[in-house]
Amino acid sequence: MNRSDLAAEATRRRKLREGALLLPIFGAFLLVSPLITVFIGSTSIFGLPLIFIYIFGIWLGLVLIARAMARRLDKG
Amino acid sequence: MLSLNALIAASLGYAVLLFTIAFWAERRAQAGRIGWLRSPFVYTLSISVYCTGWTFYGAVGSAARNGFEFVTIYLGPTLVFIGWWWLLRKLLRIGRAQRITSIADLISSRYGKSTTLAVLVTLLAVIGSTPYIALQLQSITLSFSVFESGGHANLTAFWVAAGLAVFTILFGTRNVDANERHHGVVTAIAIEAVVKLVALLSVGVFVVWGIAGGPAEIFAKAPPELLRGDSIFSARWVSLTMLSAMAIITLPRMFQVIVVENADEKHLATASWAFPGYLFLMSLFVLPIAIAGNALMPEGSNPDLYVLSLPLSQGQENLALLAFLGGFSSATSMVIIAAIALSTMVSNHIIMPLWLRFAPQGTETSGDVRTILLRSRRLSIAGILLLGYLYFRLTGGSGALASIGLIAFAGMAQIIPSLFGGLFWRGATRTGALLGLLSGFAVWAYTLFLPSFEGGFVLSQTAIENGPFGLGFLTPNALFGLMGYDPLVHSLFWSMTFNITLFILGSLLSTPRPLERIQASQFVDVFRLDKSTGSYLVSRSATSEDLFTLAQRILGADPAQRLFSEMAQQQGKAQGLPDATDKLVQTLERELAGSVGAASAHAMVSQIAGGGTVSVDELMKIADETAQIVEYSQQLENQSHRLELAMQELRGANAQLTEMGAQKDAFLSQVSHELRTPMTSIRSFSEILRDSESLDLPDAKRFLGIIQDESVRLTRLLDEILDLSHLESGRGQLLLEPVVLQDVIEKSLNATGALLEEAEIAVHNELPEAPVMVMANFDRLAQVFINLISNTVKYGRGESPKLTISVAILGETVTIVMADNGPGIAAANRKKVFEKFTRLSEANLAGSAGLGLPISREIMRNLQGDLALKPSRHGAVFEVSIPLV
Repeated sequence: MNRSDLAAEATRRRKLREGALLLPIFGAFLLVSPLITVFIGSTSIFGLPLIFIYIFGIWLGLVLIARAMARRLDKG
Repeated sequence: MLSLNALIAASLGYAVLLFTIAFWAERRAQAGRIGWLRSPFVYTLSISVYCTGWTFYGAVGSAARNGFEFVTIYLGPTLVFIGWWWLLRKLLRIGRAQRITSIADLISSRYGKSTTLAVLVTLLAVIGSTPYIALQLQSITLSFSVFESGGHANLTAFWVAAGLAVFTILFGTRNVDANERHHGVVTAIAIEAVVKLVALLSVGVFVVWGIAGGPAEIFAKAPPELLRGDSIFSARWVSLTMLSAMAIITLPRMFQVIVVENADEKHLATASWAFPGYLFLMSLFVLPIAIAGNALMPEGSNPDLYVLSLPLSQGQENLALLAFLGGFSSATSMVIIAAIALSTMVSNHIIMPLWLRFAPQGTETSGDVRTILLRSRRLSIAGILLLGYLYFRLTGGSGALASIGLIAFAGMAQIIPSLFGGLFWRGATRTGALLGLLSGFAVWAYTLFLPSFEGGFVLSQTAIENGPFGLGFLTPNALFGLMGYDPLVHSLFWSMTFNITLFILGSLLSTPRPLERIQASQFVDVFRLDKSTGSYLVSRSATSEDLFTLAQRILGADPAQRLFSEMAQQQGKAQGLPDATDKLVQTLERELAGSVGAASAHAMVSQIAGGGTVSVDELMKIADETAQIVEYSQQLENQSHRLELAMQELRGANAQLTEMGAQKDAFLSQVSHELRTPMTSIRSFSEILRDSESLDLPDAKRFLGIIQDESVRLTRLLDEILDLSHLESGRGQLLLEPVVLQDVIEKSLNATGALLEEAEIAVHNELPEAPVMVMANFDRLAQVFINLISNTVKYGRGESPKLTISVAILGETVTIVMADNGPGIAAANRKKVFEKFTRLSEANLAGSAGLGLPISREIMRNLQGDLALKPSRHGAVFEVSIPLV
């Protein structure tokens, strides 16, 4: 591995760590901010209320992103 | 309908199964076959003790009443876990490095091993957890009551508590070391986690697809206010999310499974997404079950029990039994872990310090302490469960399940400012933490905990409604006139306001003790410390070995040795280390203070002598740092010393150079002077010859003779100068060959024979008979001897003058000594004789420009030998040394 590869690797890891910090902030923004009120309403998709899909969809999304990041963070 | 007996049999069977699994796991771990017992997924499942009976039953109840609000209890932990890299990882690392046994230990350890803080947090934890344990007992008895109403609730609760106490004592106190992982317990908890997940998912699937024809049908039945309402995003929504996020870290049982029971830091990476995933699955069907319950169950049935009553009402007895076991699992796992965590805290921070204070001295042997520790843990477990049971009896199932849980959350959340401050702010101090905790806890108790008894405890009903003594601004639910908020939000706001403000102010206005400073950096900079710190803890009583090691590290080996042997002698010991008496400790502390300052010395020594929990490794680290600094400054000192030496040398060299420059000048002026004298006489005589006409022949001849003589002298002088510069530059390589020394000396004596005879010098030749072979150039060596002999003739004549020539062979060199009995050369002049144009006395004979000795020395040096003037009492002694063949 030459020097520029190492630099790229270091940058990648730094971004990953910053991402790890931002993920919960991002999650809090989506789920614990007034943004969530936008999805309250009578709209429903396949019989499921939009707010139900929104909350649980974001939740599942966070779990999946966290899984992908945890694997990368853990490797380094 | 399931009979109560069948239910009891099922729960007993389940309990037996858990005992068996725990026992088997414990045996397996003892045999060293840990394997999957310690996989990241077992770790993740064990974290699910977060989902208690309250979660299992109460979440559905909460959803039935408040819609989406229940989600917040899981969103907080989700956010904390997906941000594991920044908080949980640090917590785990610190927990490992500092051998933390509980949340109380963590706080106390961070703030300089403060006992006060440890006791405070322990009390807080016990007060916060007791209602919670009561809550679990209540959820179990409630679930029994679904199957058989009018049962003996108190009796059930009692036997459940007793059974749990037995299980916890059996598997939770096998080892003294609180850091020892409880393999049996954790495995059982993991199994229970699976059971409760499967149970809840089964009920959910049954409700959605068994009772209703899919999710759409379920949500169609939902009352519209359940899904819109103010429940989503309000002050309460934010507060509850924050509260649950804080609780996942500070609840004693959560700290126990996340930090203390963690076997490998890497497991956290898996748990970071797997645990949020678990929570996601646990909450997925909560709302559908609640909606179905509201729609199908008769008016007045308890929403908290929909999970059980719904399958029962549909005749699904097996599903109901599974759900019952799920709830049973949730409740029991929480109680078991909470009891272990609390008993560790209570026995470590309350019982043990008291026992050590009041126990008769001299019984502090390790085995004794071990027994005491185990006994105090077991007693604590029994005591905590008893407390929970009593709380359950006294409150008698008042209030909804969830509200007690939230009150406990809010109580434990008071630890958060001190914890966060401790992890990320170096300036946080013990005083600040103490003030923050005390004020936060007091405000929580006043605004939330005491009012929850509804006038039954300390605060009367009128005081709760109108403020104590009619002081309206002190009304617990509207402190300082803050009205219109949910009591939980209100309490959280005020308690956190006081807590954080006093924590920060207290920290800023107080000065941390040295130990606090050490711990602060150990915590805040934990990732900069060596990862492989396998620190062991100092035993309670100080050993003089430990003190001696410490002293050695800081004072150095010899001074420490001196100090300790001196102390040993004072104690009347002929040899060996002295006893670790108070006097020794004091003396050592004074000595160390000289090296590391009084405060640090006190911290270090008292920690070894007082048996605190600073590990020896940590102390050694401090000691090593000090030693390094001392060593470094010594190096600096050495270097500056060396620099000074070099400076001196340079100054010397400079002086020499200046001197040489002056010599060169002197030499030049000397040379011109020497050349000038013969030139002057040649010039004047030749002028006379040219100008005077009446010069007779004999005079003219005499003048010409003088001119001739002066020219010869001039030529010789120039020859000598040339010769010297030739020799000095080392350009003229002399041809070396084996030469017989005696022959050279013979020739020299012959050449100077006339001179010697004229000066009447007797020559004592003490040369050996056998020829001495040297590597030299015959003519040049002869030149040296001739020079020396003529030198003797010129300056070395005394009364009945004589010249002694002797030879001494030393190793590879032969030394020829030429000694006369003349006036000798004063010590001050010995160096000067080898300088050019030096004439020591006025007794200079014509023909010598003073270049003889310098030339001779140069020749000898070119011959790999030397010429030296030896100090002597009588006469001059020249030593010519030259290598043998």
